[in-house]
Amino acid sequence: MTSPIEYKCPSCGGGITFDSSQQRMKCPYCGKLFDIQTLEDFNSQLSNELGDDMNWENSAGSEWTEEETDGLKSYVCKSCGGEIVSDENTAATSCPFCGNPVVMSDKFSGSLKPDLIIPFKLNKEDAKKALNKHYMNKKLLPKVFKSKNHIDEVKGVYVPFWLFDSGAYANIRYKASKVRTWSDSKYEYTETSFFSCFRSGSLRFENVPVDGSSKMPDDLMESIEPFNMSDAVGFNTAYLSGYLADKYDVDETQSIGRANKRIKKSVESAFEDSVIGYTTVNPESSNVRLSESRVKYALYPVWILNTTYKKKKYTFAMNGQTGKIVGDLPLDKAAYNRWFWLLTAFSGAAAYLATYLIWLWLL
Amino acid sequence: MTMKNIKKLSAAVCLCIIVFLSVSLTSFAQSEMPRLVDGADLIAESSENVLLAKLDEISERQKVDVVIVTTDSLDGKTAEAYADDFFDYNGYGFGENYDGILLLVSMENRDWHISTCGYGIKAFTDAGIKYISGKFLPSLSDGDYYDAFNTFAGLCDEFITQAKTGKPYDVGNLPKEPYNALLSLVIAVVAGFAVAAIVTGMMKKQLKSVKSQYAADSYVLKGSMVINDSKDIFLYTQRSRREKVKDDDSGGSGGSSTHTSSSGRTHGGDGGKF
Repeated sequence: MTSPIEYKCPSCGGGITFDSSQQRMKCPYCGKLFDIQTLEDFNSQLSNELGDDMNWENSAGSEWTEEETDGLKSYVCKSCGGEIVSDENTAATSCPFCGNPVVMSDKFSGSLKPDLIIPFKLNKEDAKKALNKHYMNKKLLPKVFKSKNHIDEVKGVYVPFWLFDSGAYANIRYKASKVRTWSDSKYEYTETSFFSCFRSGSLRFENVPVDGSSKMPDDLMESIEPFNMSDAVGFNTAYLSGYLADKYDVDETQSIGRANKRIKKSVESAFEDSVIGYTTVNPESSNVRLSESRVKYALYPVWILNTTYKKKKYTFAMNGQTGKIVGDLPLDKAAYNRWFWLLTAFSGAAAYLATYLIWLWLL
Repeated sequence: MTMKNIKKLSAAVCLCIIVFLSVSLTSFAQSEMPRLVDGADLIAESSENVLLAKLDEISERQKVDVVIVTTDSLDGKTAEAYADDFFDYNGYGFGENYDGILLLVSMENRDWHISTCGYGIKAFTDAGIKYISGKFLPSLSDGDYYDAFNTFAGLCDEFITQAKTGKPYDVGNLPKEPYNALLSLVIAVVAGFAVAAIVTGMMKKQLKSVKSQYAADSYVLKGSMVINDSKDIFLYTQRSRREKVKDDDSGGSGGSSTHTSSSGRTHGGDGGKF
């Protein structure tokens, strides 16, 4: 004797039973009718669902050789605790993260050697020009901020990133609907048909970056993406000359979560694009498994500027490769109010005139 | 008799005929009843005279009778029949088509009815009558009868004047409402705030440029997507129906609807309660 298969209603999830009068399966909770074949197909879709498996094989970075570390100097900021690295010919005097003076620590120590580096493509002049442009045409930016902007203090920093490579295998079920409307002389009819759409397949991601420095805000670093990997080269301490480098203090296992989240979103939307011909499509369940995954440790070039305005810290970052610049700017409250009330007055007066003209000519 | 005299004589005869005809036509239009019959005694004597003078002036000038009748009883008739009959059997109406309009107010069941005849049917379309009644009904309901009748008379004058231009007030062509300064001010203030909020909002947005990435789309290896399995199954259908919204402008075509009264004449008009 085989145990009876229990079917669940695809609409409300309730247990479904056979309705002898209709000769079909009927949900006693929401009253919808189904063919047995439909429920069998739906069940086989459900049984395909597995949990997410987003583990990574870890092999990022390598150990430093004695020769390499000999040519490096390490600095510690007493104020924010930031640790920066430069080559022996570049003297760091102030911390790029908080602007306070830094002191050289005894010996360069620890952490991994990066696998890859994207060398700076844009120089300090480019960064200053870009910053000036960033301040332009912003009516609500305080004038004082523009004049006292400390633009000269912009610093080139190699920021540590974890790069995740992976194949993503996905089983995703979407609930889709088609809407049809028509009408007769008395009523307007709306018919919504629901479908369960199953997609299974794979997609490969390369170099999904996650900021490995706790000193650099993650959203700031994500804002200057993307970096172009075609310029990446094997790491060599020679590239550090003239620039500062930050050591990672968020390790790859802590960074995986962020990479997984972004990968999962992309997988869902990529497969959603293959569910076509419907009015609405929403993912109902999605399982993403990663395989052949790899983590790399890389340094990305970033020009950064930290300034303080009215006791609040403002950080600007420019992609040292593409020139994309970001950084939230302070708001001039007085200017805001002035604009707001002037605009209200002028557009209000214009609207009043418009109502009169409409009355005069159109009504 | 010279030719000159014959010409003079025939000219005189012609003039006589014209004068006779016009006098007879005028007298033909004259009714023995006044244009204001206040049977229910709703307005004061002094106001009555002012109103009657106004009705007479409008009627004579426009050559369309504008009549107001009030009564305590409809004598068992419908308001429509009472109004039509009152107009027909009391000799109202100018010319051979009995051009005129009559407003009946009955206190029996608080009915009002407008009956139009001849040119009145053309000048007062269904939409026009709806418009006019909309203007005087509030006063009528409040018991301000003089105000209501005065408004009615004024609007009748306006409507007849408009009709003589060849384009009577009708659907899509009703008299202009007066400019509503207060409403316009409210609209202007709201619009002003909305524009200011949108523009300053955009200015504020210029200051923001830091934003987390949502997904990792730029790191997908091009051409790496493979779909192994793809199956769409139909689950169920939900159907709903909604009653169509009735168009309020059912008389969108405009014009006047007519009926035949007990005397056999054609009347237009509309009525209701107040």
